[in-house]
Amino acid sequence: MRRIIVEYEKCDGCKNCSAACMQAHREIGGTIYDLDLTDPGNESRNYILKDEKGRYKPLFCRHCDEPECVKSCMSGALTKDPESGHVFYDETRCGSCFMCVMNCPFGVLKPDRITKSKVIKCDFCVNAGGEPSCVASCPKKAIHVEEV
Amino acid sequence: MKYVIVGVGVAGIEAAREIRKKDAQGEILMISADAQIHSRCMLHKFIAGERDEKGLDFTELDFFEKYRIQWKSGVRVKEVCPDGKEILLDDGERITYDKLLLANGADSFIPPVGDLRKASNVYGLRNLTDAQAIVKEAEGARDVLVIGSGLVGLDAAYGLLERGGRLTVVEMADQILPVQLDARGAAAYQELFEKAGVRFVLGRRASEAVCEADGKIHKVTLDNGEELACDLVIVAAGVRPSLACLEGSGIDCERGVTVDSCMRTSKEDIFAAGDITGRSGIWPNAADQGRVAGRNMCGAKAEYTDTYAMKNTINFFGLVTLCVGRIRPEEGDDIRVKEDRTQYKRLILKDGKIEGVLLQGDIAHAGTWQYLIKNRIDVSGIEKDIFSVSYADFYFTGEKGEYVWV
Repeated sequence: MRRIIVEYEKCDGCKNCSAACMQAHREIGGTIYDLDLTDPGNESRNYILKDEKGRYKPLFCRHCDEPECVKSCMSGALTKDPESGHVFYDETRCGSCFMCVMNCPFGVLKPDRITKSKVIKCDFCVNAGGEPSCVASCPKKAIHVEEV
Repeated sequence: MKYVIVGVGVAGIEAAREIRKKDAQGEILMISADAQIHSRCMLHKFIAGERDEKGLDFTELDFFEKYRIQWKSGVRVKEVCPDGKEILLDDGERITYDKLLLANGADSFIPPVGDLRKASNVYGLRNLTDAQAIVKEAEGARDVLVIGSGLVGLDAAYGLLERGGRLTVVEMADQILPVQLDARGAAAYQELFEKAGVRFVLGRRASEAVCEADGKIHKVTLDNGEELACDLVIVAAGVRPSLACLEGSGIDCERGVTVDSCMRTSKEDIFAAGDITGRSGIWPNAADQGRVAGRNMCGAKAEYTDTYAMKNTINFFGLVTLCVGRIRPEEGDDIRVKEDRTQYKRLILKDGKIEGVLLQGDIAHAGTWQYLIKNRIDVSGIEKDIFSVSYADFYFTGEKGEYVWV
Protein backbone atom coordinates (compact mmCIF):
# COMPACT_ATOMS: atom_id res chain seq x y z
CA MET A 1 0.00 0.00 0.00
CA ARG A 2 0.98 3.63 -0.40
CA ARG A 3 1.76 5.36 2.87
CA ILE A 4 2.57 8.97 3.71
CA ILE A 5 6.09 8.87 5.11
CA VAL A 6 7.26 11.70 7.33
CA GLU A 7 10.92 12.27 8.13
CA TYR A 8 10.32 14.05 11.38
CA GLU A 9 13.95 15.12 11.77
CA LYS A 10 13.42 17.47 8.83
CA CYS A 11 10.23 19.04 10.23
CA ASP A 12 10.59 22.61 11.38
CA GLY A 13 7.03 22.90 12.62
CA CYS A 14 5.75 25.36 9.99
CA LYS A 15 2.38 23.60 9.75
CA ASN A 16 2.08 24.10 6.02
CA CYS A 17 0.91 20.49 5.92
CA SER A 18 -1.92 21.30 8.32
CA ALA A 19 -2.96 24.35 6.30
CA ALA A 20 -2.89 22.26 3.11
CA CYS A 21 -5.01 19.61 4.81
CA MET A 22 -7.56 22.20 5.94
CA GLN A 23 -7.63 23.63 2.44
CA ALA A 24 -8.16 20.20 0.91
CA HIS A 25 -11.11 19.48 3.17
CA ARG A 26 -12.83 22.86 3.41
CA GLU A 27 -16.54 22.84 2.71
CA ILE A 28 -16.74 26.00 0.66
CA GLY A 29 -14.26 26.26 -2.18
CA GLY A 30 -11.59 28.91 -2.50
CA THR A 31 -7.86 29.31 -2.47
CA ILE A 32 -5.43 28.86 0.37
CA TYR A 33 -5.26 32.66 0.56
CA ASP A 34 -8.85 32.96 1.74
CA LEU A 35 -8.82 29.86 3.94
CA ASP A 36 -10.17 30.88 7.34
CA LEU A 37 -7.74 29.33 9.80
CA THR A 38 -9.85 30.38 12.76
CA ASP A 39 -13.07 28.78 11.49
CA PRO A 40 -13.65 25.76 13.78
CA GLY A 41 -15.22 24.03 10.77
CA ASN A 42 -11.83 23.98 9.07
CA GLU A 43 -9.94 21.22 10.79
CA SER A 44 -6.68 19.63 9.84
CA ARG A 45 -6.32 15.86 9.80
CA ASN A 46 -2.64 16.03 10.61
CA TYR A 47 -0.97 17.57 13.62
CA ILE A 48 2.47 18.79 14.53
CA LEU A 49 3.03 17.87 18.15
CA LYS A 50 5.93 18.74 20.37
CA ASP A 51 7.68 16.35 22.70
CA GLU A 52 8.95 17.39 26.12
CA LYS A 53 12.12 18.83 24.63
CA GLY A 54 10.17 20.93 22.15
CA ARG A 55 11.07 18.80 19.14
CA TYR A 56 8.46 18.53 16.42
CA LYS A 57 6.72 15.18 16.04
CA PRO A 58 4.26 15.08 13.13
CA LEU A 59 1.18 12.98 13.87
CA PHE A 60 -0.33 11.63 10.65
CA CYS A 61 -2.76 8.74 10.27
CA ARG A 62 -0.68 5.69 9.31
CA HIS A 63 -3.56 3.73 7.78
CA CYS A 64 -2.33 0.88 9.96
CA ASP A 65 -1.96 -2.69 8.76
CA GLU A 66 -4.28 -3.75 11.56
CA PRO A 67 -6.19 -0.58 12.30
CA GLU A 68 -7.56 -0.42 15.82
CA CYS A 69 -10.07 2.21 14.71
CA VAL A 70 -11.63 -0.18 12.20
CA LYS A 71 -11.62 -3.00 14.73
CA SER A 72 -13.54 -0.87 17.20
CA CYS A 73 -16.09 0.60 14.78
CA MET A 74 -19.60 -0.53 15.66
CA SER A 75 -21.36 0.99 12.67
CA GLY A 76 -19.28 -0.12 9.70
CA ALA A 77 -18.26 3.50 9.01
CA LEU A 78 -14.54 2.76 9.18
CA THR A 79 -13.19 0.21 6.73
CA LYS A 80 -9.81 -0.80 5.43
CA ASP A 81 -9.95 -0.76 1.66
CA PRO A 82 -8.63 -4.13 0.51
CA GLU A 83 -7.18 -2.70 -2.69
CA SER A 84 -5.47 0.50 -1.59
CA GLY A 85 -4.97 -0.53 2.04
CA HIS A 86 -6.23 2.85 3.14
CA VAL A 87 -8.63 3.30 6.02
CA PHE A 88 -11.72 5.15 4.88
CA TYR A 89 -14.48 6.76 6.88
CA ASP A 90 -18.09 6.92 5.78
CA GLU A 91 -19.68 9.75 7.70
CA THR A 92 -23.21 8.67 6.78
CA ARG A 93 -22.79 5.32 8.53
CA CYS A 94 -21.01 6.67 11.60
CA GLY A 95 -22.88 6.26 14.89
CA SER A 96 -20.79 8.97 16.64
CA CYS A 97 -19.76 6.63 19.47
CA PHE A 98 -16.07 7.57 19.22
CA MET A 99 -14.76 4.19 20.24
CA CYS A 100 -12.30 4.71 17.38
CA VAL A 101 -10.96 7.81 19.12
CA MET A 102 -10.55 5.80 22.30
CA ASN A 103 -8.85 2.88 20.58
CA CYS A 104 -6.32 4.56 18.27
CA PRO A 105 -3.14 3.84 20.25
CA PHE A 106 -1.41 6.86 18.75
CA GLY A 107 -4.15 9.37 19.48
CA VAL A 108 -4.57 10.41 15.86
CA LEU A 109 -8.36 10.58 15.79
CA LYS A 110 -10.72 13.15 17.25
CA PRO A 111 -14.37 14.15 17.00
CA ASP A 112 -15.16 17.18 14.86
CA ARG A 113 -15.11 20.39 16.85
CA ILE A 114 -18.54 21.78 15.98
CA THR A 115 -21.06 18.96 15.94
CA LYS A 116 -19.18 16.21 17.82
CA SER A 117 -20.84 13.77 15.47
CA LYS A 118 -18.09 12.95 12.99
CA VAL A 119 -14.54 11.73 13.15
CA ILE A 120 -11.74 13.84 11.71
CA LYS A 121 -9.62 11.39 9.79
CA CYS A 122 -7.09 11.39 6.94
CA ASP A 123 -8.70 10.21 3.69
CA PHE A 124 -5.49 10.25 1.65
CA CYS A 125 -7.13 13.09 -0.32
CA VAL A 126 -8.99 10.40 -2.23
CA ASN A 127 -11.43 12.95 -3.62
CA ALA A 128 -8.57 14.97 -5.04
CA GLY A 129 -7.06 12.09 -6.96
CA GLY A 130 -5.45 10.29 -4.05
CA GLU A 131 -2.36 12.45 -3.87
CA PRO A 132 -2.24 13.80 -0.32
CA SER A 133 -2.15 17.59 -0.22
CA CYS A 134 0.23 17.67 2.73
CA VAL A 135 3.04 16.15 0.64
CA ALA A 136 3.42 18.95 -1.88
CA SER A 137 3.02 21.63 0.76
CA CYS A 138 6.07 20.74 2.82
CA PRO A 139 8.87 23.26 2.23
CA LYS A 140 11.38 20.95 3.93
CA LYS A 141 10.44 18.01 1.72
CA ALA A 142 9.94 15.99 4.88
CA ILE A 143 6.78 14.31 3.59
CA HIS A 144 6.51 11.86 0.73
CA VAL A 145 4.39 8.94 -0.35
CA GLU A 146 5.99 5.55 -0.55
CA GLU A 147 4.85 2.08 -1.51
CA VAL A 148 5.38 -0.01 1.62
CA MET B 1 -14.57 -28.44 6.64
CA LYS B 2 -17.89 -27.21 7.95
CA TYR B 3 -17.88 -24.22 10.27
CA VAL B 4 -21.03 -23.38 12.17
CA ILE B 5 -21.33 -20.02 13.89
CA VAL B 6 -24.18 -19.31 16.26
CA GLY B 7 -24.92 -15.58 16.44
CA VAL B 8 -24.57 -12.69 14.01
CA GLY B 9 -23.34 -10.10 16.47
CA VAL B 10 -19.88 -8.66 16.02
CA ALA B 11 -18.09 -11.70 17.48
CA GLY B 12 -19.78 -14.08 15.03
CA ILE B 13 -19.38 -11.77 12.06
CA GLU B 14 -15.69 -11.15 12.70
CA ALA B 15 -15.06 -14.86 13.16
CA ALA B 16 -16.75 -15.60 9.82
CA ARG B 17 -14.65 -12.98 8.05
CA GLU B 18 -11.49 -14.41 9.53
CA ILE B 19 -12.40 -17.97 8.62
CA ARG B 20 -13.10 -17.02 5.01
CA LYS B 21 -9.75 -15.23 4.82
CA LYS B 22 -7.93 -18.36 5.93
CA ASP B 23 -10.08 -21.03 4.32
CA ALA B 24 -11.44 -20.26 0.87
CA GLN B 25 -13.15 -23.63 0.44
CA GLY B 26 -14.74 -24.41 3.78
CA GLU B 27 -18.48 -24.27 4.28
CA ILE B 28 -19.62 -21.54 6.66
CA LEU B 29 -23.09 -21.58 8.16
CA MET B 30 -24.33 -18.85 10.47
CA ILE B 31 -27.37 -19.36 12.65
CA SER B 32 -29.13 -16.61 14.53
CA ALA B 33 -32.25 -15.68 16.41
CA ASP B 34 -31.77 -12.18 14.98
CA ALA B 35 -33.62 -11.78 11.72
CA GLN B 36 -31.43 -8.85 10.81
CA ILE B 37 -27.82 -7.94 11.44
CA HIS B 38 -27.70 -4.94 13.71
CA SER B 39 -25.33 -3.00 15.91
CA ARG B 40 -26.64 -3.05 19.45
CA CYS B 41 -24.83 0.19 20.13
CA MET B 42 -27.22 1.97 17.75
CA LEU B 43 -30.58 0.70 18.96
CA HIS B 44 -31.37 4.08 20.51
CA LYS B 45 -31.10 5.60 17.04
CA PHE B 46 -33.77 3.19 15.87
CA ILE B 47 -36.02 4.02 18.83
CA ALA B 48 -35.55 7.71 18.15
CA GLY B 49 -36.52 7.17 14.52
CA GLU B 50 -33.14 8.44 13.29
CA ARG B 51 -32.37 5.17 11.53
CA ASP B 52 -34.39 2.33 10.11
CA GLU B 53 -33.53 -1.36 10.58
CA LYS B 54 -31.18 -1.36 7.62
CA GLY B 55 -29.33 1.64 9.01
CA LEU B 56 -28.24 -0.45 11.99
CA ASP B 57 -26.38 -3.00 9.88
CA PHE B 58 -22.65 -2.75 10.49
CA THR B 59 -21.53 -5.11 7.73
CA GLU B 60 -21.03 -4.68 4.00
CA LEU B 61 -24.31 -4.77 2.07
CA ASP B 62 -23.35 -8.00 0.35
CA PHE B 63 -21.74 -9.60 3.39
CA PHE B 64 -23.13 -13.12 3.01
CA GLU B 65 -22.49 -13.34 -0.74
CA LYS B 66 -19.11 -11.72 -0.48
CA TYR B 67 -17.83 -14.20 2.07
CA ARG B 68 -19.92 -17.09 0.70
CA ILE B 69 -21.74 -17.72 3.94
CA GLN B 70 -25.05 -19.45 4.40
CA TRP B 71 -27.34 -17.83 6.95
CA LYS B 72 -30.24 -19.37 8.76
CA SER B 73 -32.03 -16.67 10.72
CA GLY B 74 -34.95 -16.56 13.10
CA VAL B 75 -34.02 -19.79 14.87
CA ARG B 76 -32.51 -20.53 18.23
CA VAL B 77 -30.17 -23.28 19.28
CA LYS B 78 -31.92 -25.60 21.69
CA GLU B 79 -29.17 -28.04 22.43
CA VAL B 80 -25.50 -28.56 21.78
CA CYS B 81 -24.28 -32.15 21.54
CA PRO B 82 -20.45 -32.23 21.50
CA ASP B 83 -20.33 -36.04 21.29
CA GLY B 84 -22.37 -36.25 18.11
CA LYS B 85 -20.85 -32.97 16.84
CA GLU B 86 -24.24 -31.53 16.15
CA ILE B 87 -26.62 -28.87 17.38
CA LEU B 88 -30.38 -29.01 17.64
CA LEU B 89 -32.43 -25.98 16.63
CA ASP B 90 -35.80 -24.96 17.99
CA ASP B 91 -37.40 -25.70 14.62
CA GLY B 92 -36.37 -29.32 15.05
CA GLU B 93 -33.50 -29.31 12.57
CA ARG B 94 -30.22 -30.99 13.49
CA ILE B 95 -27.06 -29.47 12.14
CA THR B 96 -23.66 -31.11 12.18
CA TYR B 97 -20.38 -29.25 12.40
CA ASP B 98 -16.67 -29.77 12.24
CA LYS B 99 -15.95 -26.56 14.15
CA LEU B 100 -18.56 -24.71 16.16
CA LEU B 101 -18.48 -21.15 17.45
CA LEU B 102 -20.87 -20.11 20.18
CA ALA B 103 -21.34 -16.37 19.74
CA ASN B 104 -24.98 -16.15 20.71
CA GLY B 105 -24.43 -13.36 23.17
CA ALA B 106 -26.36 -12.55 26.27
CA ASP B 107 -29.88 -11.78 27.42
CA SER B 108 -31.14 -8.77 29.32
CA PHE B 109 -31.32 -9.46 33.01
CA ILE B 110 -34.72 -8.66 34.45
CA PRO B 111 -34.48 -8.68 38.25
CA PRO B 112 -37.02 -10.81 40.10
CA VAL B 113 -38.90 -7.84 41.48
CA GLY B 114 -42.68 -8.27 41.68
CA ASP B 115 -44.10 -9.17 38.29
CA LEU B 116 -41.36 -7.56 36.19
CA ARG B 117 -40.54 -10.89 34.54
CA LYS B 118 -44.17 -11.66 33.80
CA ALA B 119 -45.60 -8.38 32.54
CA SER B 120 -46.08 -7.77 28.82
CA ASN B 121 -44.96 -4.14 28.92
CA VAL B 122 -41.50 -4.74 30.42
CA TYR B 123 -38.52 -4.87 28.06
CA GLY B 124 -34.78 -5.05 28.11
CA LEU B 125 -32.89 -3.18 25.39
CA ARG B 126 -30.57 -5.67 23.82
CA ASN B 127 -31.93 -6.77 20.45
CA LEU B 128 -33.58 -5.08 17.52
CA THR B 129 -36.75 -6.94 18.48
CA ASP B 130 -36.62 -5.20 21.88
CA ALA B 131 -36.27 -1.81 20.21
CA GLN B 132 -39.14 -2.59 17.83
CA ALA B 133 -41.38 -3.65 20.70
CA ILE B 134 -40.43 -0.57 22.72
CA VAL B 135 -41.35 1.73 19.84
CA LYS B 136 -44.71 0.02 19.53
CA GLU B 137 -45.43 0.05 23.25
CA ALA B 138 -44.33 3.70 23.49
CA GLU B 139 -47.14 4.72 21.18
CA GLY B 140 -49.72 6.20 23.46
CA ALA B 141 -47.70 5.50 26.61
CA ARG B 142 -48.13 8.40 28.99
CA ASP B 143 -45.47 7.37 31.46
CA VAL B 144 -42.25 5.55 30.65
CA LEU B 145 -40.06 4.15 33.38
CA VAL B 146 -36.43 3.20 32.85
CA ILE B 147 -34.83 1.11 35.57
CA GLY B 148 -31.07 1.60 35.58
CA SER B 149 -29.04 4.57 34.39
CA GLY B 150 -26.06 2.86 32.83
CA LEU B 151 -25.32 3.33 29.15
CA VAL B 152 -28.22 1.10 28.08
CA GLY B 153 -30.72 2.83 30.36
CA LEU B 154 -29.69 6.25 29.13
CA ASP B 155 -29.68 5.02 25.53
CA ALA B 156 -33.30 3.99 26.02
CA ALA B 157 -34.23 7.32 27.59
CA TYR B 158 -32.40 9.24 24.86
CA GLY B 159 -34.13 7.29 22.12
CA LEU B 160 -37.53 7.88 23.68
CA LEU B 161 -37.15 11.64 24.16
CA GLU B 162 -38.98 12.47 20.97
CA ARG B 163 -41.67 9.83 21.33
CA GLY B 164 -43.77 11.69 23.86
CA GLY B 165 -44.61 10.38 27.31
CA ARG B 166 -43.11 11.41 30.62
CA LEU B 167 -39.74 9.74 31.19
CA THR B 168 -38.49 8.71 34.61
CA VAL B 169 -35.19 6.97 35.26
CA VAL B 170 -34.63 5.11 38.54
CA GLU B 171 -31.08 4.40 39.68
CA MET B 172 -29.84 2.53 42.77
CA ALA B 173 -26.63 4.54 43.05
CA ASP B 174 -26.62 8.17 44.07
CA GLN B 175 -25.49 9.28 40.61
CA ILE B 176 -26.23 8.28 37.04
CA LEU B 177 -23.66 6.28 35.01
CA PRO B 178 -22.11 5.05 38.27
CA VAL B 179 -19.78 2.56 36.59
CA GLN B 180 -18.46 5.03 34.04
CA LEU B 181 -18.28 8.44 35.65
CA ASP B 182 -17.50 10.40 38.77
CA ALA B 183 -20.24 12.51 40.34
CA ARG B 184 -19.25 15.63 38.49
CA GLY B 185 -19.12 14.04 35.03
CA ALA B 186 -22.46 12.35 35.70
CA ALA B 187 -24.09 15.58 36.83
CA ALA B 188 -23.36 17.16 33.46
CA TYR B 189 -25.38 14.45 31.68
CA GLN B 190 -28.09 14.50 34.31
CA GLU B 191 -28.57 18.20 33.71
CA LEU B 192 -28.82 17.72 29.94
CA PHE B 193 -31.36 14.93 30.30
CA GLU B 194 -33.36 16.95 32.82
CA LYS B 195 -33.43 19.91 30.47
CA ALA B 196 -34.88 17.56 27.87
CA GLY B 197 -37.63 16.59 30.31
CA VAL B 198 -36.34 13.42 31.99
CA ARG B 199 -36.85 12.97 35.71
CA PHE B 200 -34.26 11.03 37.71
CA VAL B 201 -34.87 9.21 40.97
CA LEU B 202 -31.47 8.38 42.44
CA GLY B 203 -30.50 6.16 45.34
CA ARG B 204 -33.66 4.13 45.01
CA ARG B 205 -34.57 0.68 43.80
CA ALA B 206 -37.80 -0.85 42.61
CA SER B 207 -39.31 -3.02 45.32
CA GLU B 208 -42.75 -3.91 44.03
CA ALA B 209 -44.48 -4.12 40.67
CA VAL B 210 -47.84 -5.77 40.23
CA CYS B 211 -49.40 -6.89 36.96
CA GLU B 212 -52.88 -5.59 36.41
CA ALA B 213 -55.75 -7.25 34.59
CA ASP B 214 -54.33 -6.29 31.18
CA GLY B 215 -51.11 -8.14 31.93
CA LYS B 216 -49.17 -4.92 32.26
CA ILE B 217 -47.50 -3.08 35.08
CA HIS B 218 -48.91 0.41 35.53
CA LYS B 219 -47.20 1.27 38.78
CA VAL B 220 -43.79 0.50 40.28
CA THR B 221 -43.21 1.01 43.99
CA LEU B 222 -39.77 2.10 45.16
CA ASP B 223 -38.01 1.11 48.38
CA ASN B 224 -39.10 4.36 50.04
CA GLY B 225 -42.72 3.71 49.21
CA GLU B 226 -42.90 6.19 46.36
CA GLU B 227 -45.08 5.00 43.51
CA LEU B 228 -44.19 5.67 39.89
CA ALA B 229 -46.82 5.43 37.20
CA CYS B 230 -45.77 3.61 34.02
CA ASP B 231 -47.24 2.29 30.80
CA LEU B 232 -43.90 1.03 29.54
CA VAL B 233 -40.98 -0.23 31.61
CA ILE B 234 -37.45 -0.64 30.30
CA VAL B 235 -35.11 -2.60 32.50
CA ALA B 236 -31.44 -1.84 32.03
CA ALA B 237 -29.90 -3.90 34.80
CA GLY B 238 -27.19 -5.65 32.85
CA VAL B 239 -27.08 -8.85 30.84
CA ARG B 240 -26.41 -12.51 31.49
CA PRO B 241 -24.67 -14.85 29.00
CA SER B 242 -27.13 -16.96 27.01
CA LEU B 243 -26.23 -20.34 28.44
CA ALA B 244 -29.62 -22.04 28.36
CA CYS B 245 -28.84 -24.06 25.23
CA LEU B 246 -25.69 -25.47 26.80
CA GLU B 247 -27.44 -27.33 29.58
CA GLY B 248 -26.43 -30.95 29.53
CA SER B 249 -23.74 -30.34 26.92
CA GLY B 250 -20.92 -30.79 29.39
CA ILE B 251 -19.32 -27.53 28.25
CA ASP B 252 -17.70 -25.86 31.26
CA CYS B 253 -19.36 -22.62 32.29
CA GLU B 254 -18.81 -20.21 35.11
CA ARG B 255 -20.41 -16.81 34.75
CA GLY B 256 -20.25 -17.47 31.02
CA VAL B 257 -18.75 -20.17 28.85
CA THR B 258 -15.22 -20.85 30.05
CA VAL B 259 -12.64 -20.28 27.35
CA ASP B 260 -8.86 -20.29 27.14
CA SER B 261 -6.84 -17.53 25.47
CA CYS B 262 -7.54 -19.15 22.06
CA MET B 263 -11.29 -18.93 22.77
CA ARG B 264 -11.54 -22.73 23.00
CA THR B 265 -14.17 -24.16 25.31
CA SER B 266 -13.69 -27.31 27.37
CA LYS B 267 -15.04 -29.42 24.50
CA GLU B 268 -13.01 -30.14 21.41
CA ASP B 269 -13.81 -28.14 18.29
CA ILE B 270 -16.18 -25.83 20.14
CA PHE B 271 -15.18 -22.21 20.56
CA ALA B 272 -16.93 -19.25 22.15
CA ALA B 273 -16.60 -15.48 21.72
CA GLY B 274 -18.36 -12.31 22.75
CA ASP B 275 -20.90 -11.81 25.51
CA ILE B 276 -21.57 -15.52 25.96
CA THR B 277 -18.14 -15.84 27.56
CA GLY B 278 -19.12 -13.36 30.26
CA ARG B 279 -15.82 -11.60 29.64
CA SER B 280 -15.75 -8.00 28.56
CA GLY B 281 -18.94 -7.10 26.83
CA ILE B 282 -17.68 -4.12 24.94
CA TRP B 283 -17.66 -4.07 21.17
CA PRO B 284 -13.93 -3.93 20.30
CA ASN B 285 -13.17 -6.79 22.67
CA ALA B 286 -16.01 -8.96 21.40
CA ALA B 287 -14.75 -8.32 17.87
CA ASP B 288 -11.24 -9.33 18.88
CA GLN B 289 -12.48 -12.50 20.51
CA GLY B 290 -14.37 -13.36 17.34
CA ARG B 291 -11.28 -12.91 15.18
CA VAL B 292 -9.15 -14.99 17.52
CA ALA B 293 -11.74 -17.76 17.58
CA GLY B 294 -12.05 -17.67 13.78
CA ARG B 295 -8.32 -18.03 13.27
CA ASN B 296 -8.01 -20.90 15.70
CA MET B 297 -11.01 -22.63 14.13
CA CYS B 298 -9.09 -22.89 10.87
CA GLY B 299 -6.00 -24.15 12.58
CA ALA B 300 -4.07 -20.90 12.61
CA LYS B 301 -2.73 -19.82 15.95
CA ALA B 302 -3.98 -16.67 17.61
CA GLU B 303 -4.46 -15.53 21.18
CA TYR B 304 -6.79 -13.03 22.78
CA THR B 305 -4.35 -10.85 24.66
CA ASP B 306 -5.67 -7.29 24.52
CA THR B 307 -8.24 -8.02 27.18
CA TYR B 308 -8.36 -4.57 28.74
CA ALA B 309 -11.98 -3.53 28.95
CA MET B 310 -12.34 -0.78 31.53
CA LYS B 311 -13.04 1.73 28.83
CA ASN B 312 -16.02 3.59 27.50
CA THR B 313 -17.05 6.52 25.43
CA ILE B 314 -20.32 8.37 25.93
CA ASN B 315 -22.05 10.81 23.62
CA PHE B 316 -25.40 12.35 24.47
CA PHE B 317 -26.59 15.78 23.35
CA GLY B 318 -23.19 16.37 21.72
CA LEU B 319 -21.41 16.16 25.06
CA VAL B 320 -18.70 13.53 24.60
CA THR B 321 -16.91 11.71 27.38
CA LEU B 322 -14.16 9.16 27.47
CA CYS B 323 -13.31 7.14 30.54
CA VAL B 324 -10.57 4.57 30.79
CA GLY B 325 -9.35 2.74 33.87
CA ARG B 326 -10.23 3.47 37.44
CA ILE B 327 -12.96 6.00 38.16
CA ARG B 328 -13.06 6.02 41.98
CA PRO B 329 -10.14 7.75 43.69
CA GLU B 330 -8.31 5.87 46.45
CA GLU B 331 -6.02 6.97 49.23
CA GLY B 332 -2.56 7.86 47.97
CA ASP B 333 -3.77 8.85 44.51
CA ASP B 334 -2.41 11.91 42.82
CA ILE B 335 -5.48 13.52 41.23
CA ARG B 336 -5.04 16.10 38.50
CA VAL B 337 -7.92 18.16 37.21
CA LYS B 338 -8.14 20.56 34.32
CA GLU B 339 -11.29 22.39 33.47
CA ASP B 340 -12.78 25.31 31.66
CA ARG B 341 -16.13 26.27 30.21
CA THR B 342 -16.02 23.52 27.59
CA GLN B 343 -14.25 20.65 29.27
CA TYR B 344 -13.58 18.71 32.43
CA LYS B 345 -10.57 16.43 32.57
CA ARG B 346 -9.42 14.32 35.46
CA LEU B 347 -6.46 11.98 35.76
CA ILE B 348 -5.75 9.53 38.54
CA LEU B 349 -2.02 8.92 38.97
CA LYS B 350 -0.29 6.51 41.29
CA ASP B 351 3.42 5.81 41.53
CA GLY B 352 4.09 7.68 38.31
CA LYS B 353 1.55 5.72 36.34
CA ILE B 354 -1.85 6.75 35.10
CA GLU B 355 -4.58 4.54 36.49
CA GLY B 356 -7.62 6.36 35.26
CA VAL B 357 -8.62 9.09 32.87
CA LEU B 358 -11.91 10.89 32.48
CA LEU B 359 -12.27 13.45 29.72
CA GLN B 360 -15.52 15.30 29.18
CA GLY B 361 -16.19 17.83 26.46
CA ASP B 362 -12.95 17.33 24.59
CA ILE B 363 -11.66 13.85 23.80
CA ALA B 364 -9.44 14.79 20.86
CA HIS B 365 -6.40 12.52 20.50
CA ALA B 366 -7.38 10.63 23.63
CA GLY B 367 -6.49 7.17 22.32
CA THR B 368 -3.01 7.45 23.77
CA TRP B 369 -4.37 7.39 27.32
CA GLN B 370 -5.76 3.91 26.92
CA TYR B 371 -2.37 2.66 25.81
CA LEU B 372 -0.59 4.36 28.72
CA ILE B 373 -3.06 3.00 31.26
CA LYS B 374 -3.39 -0.57 30.13
CA ASN B 375 0.34 -1.01 29.64
CA ARG B 376 1.11 0.73 32.92
CA ILE B 377 3.62 3.09 31.33
CA ASP B 378 5.58 5.26 33.74
CA VAL B 379 5.05 8.90 32.81
CA SER B 380 6.75 10.47 35.79
CA GLY B 381 9.92 11.23 33.83
CA ILE B 382 8.16 13.35 31.23
CA GLU B 383 8.75 16.98 32.07
CA LYS B 384 5.58 18.41 30.71
CA ASP B 385 2.10 19.27 31.87
CA ILE B 386 0.56 15.82 32.29
CA PHE B 387 -2.47 16.72 30.17
CA SER B 388 -0.27 17.47 27.19
CA VAL B 389 1.52 14.12 27.26
CA SER B 390 0.95 12.58 23.86
CA TYR B 391 2.36 10.06 21.44
CA ALA B 392 5.00 12.71 20.63
CA ASP B 393 6.68 11.71 23.88
CA PHE B 394 6.94 8.09 22.74
CA TYR B 395 7.29 8.74 19.03
CA PHE B 396 8.83 5.93 17.01
CA THR B 397 8.34 4.92 13.41
CA GLY B 398 9.09 1.49 12.03
CA GLU B 399 10.67 0.59 8.70
CA LYS B 400 7.43 0.94 6.80
CA GLY B 401 6.62 4.30 8.31
CA GLU B 402 4.20 2.76 10.78
CA TYR B 403 3.98 4.06 14.32
CA VAL B 404 5.24 1.70 16.98
CA TRP B 405 5.12 1.75 20.75
CA VAL B 406 8.55 0.74 22.01
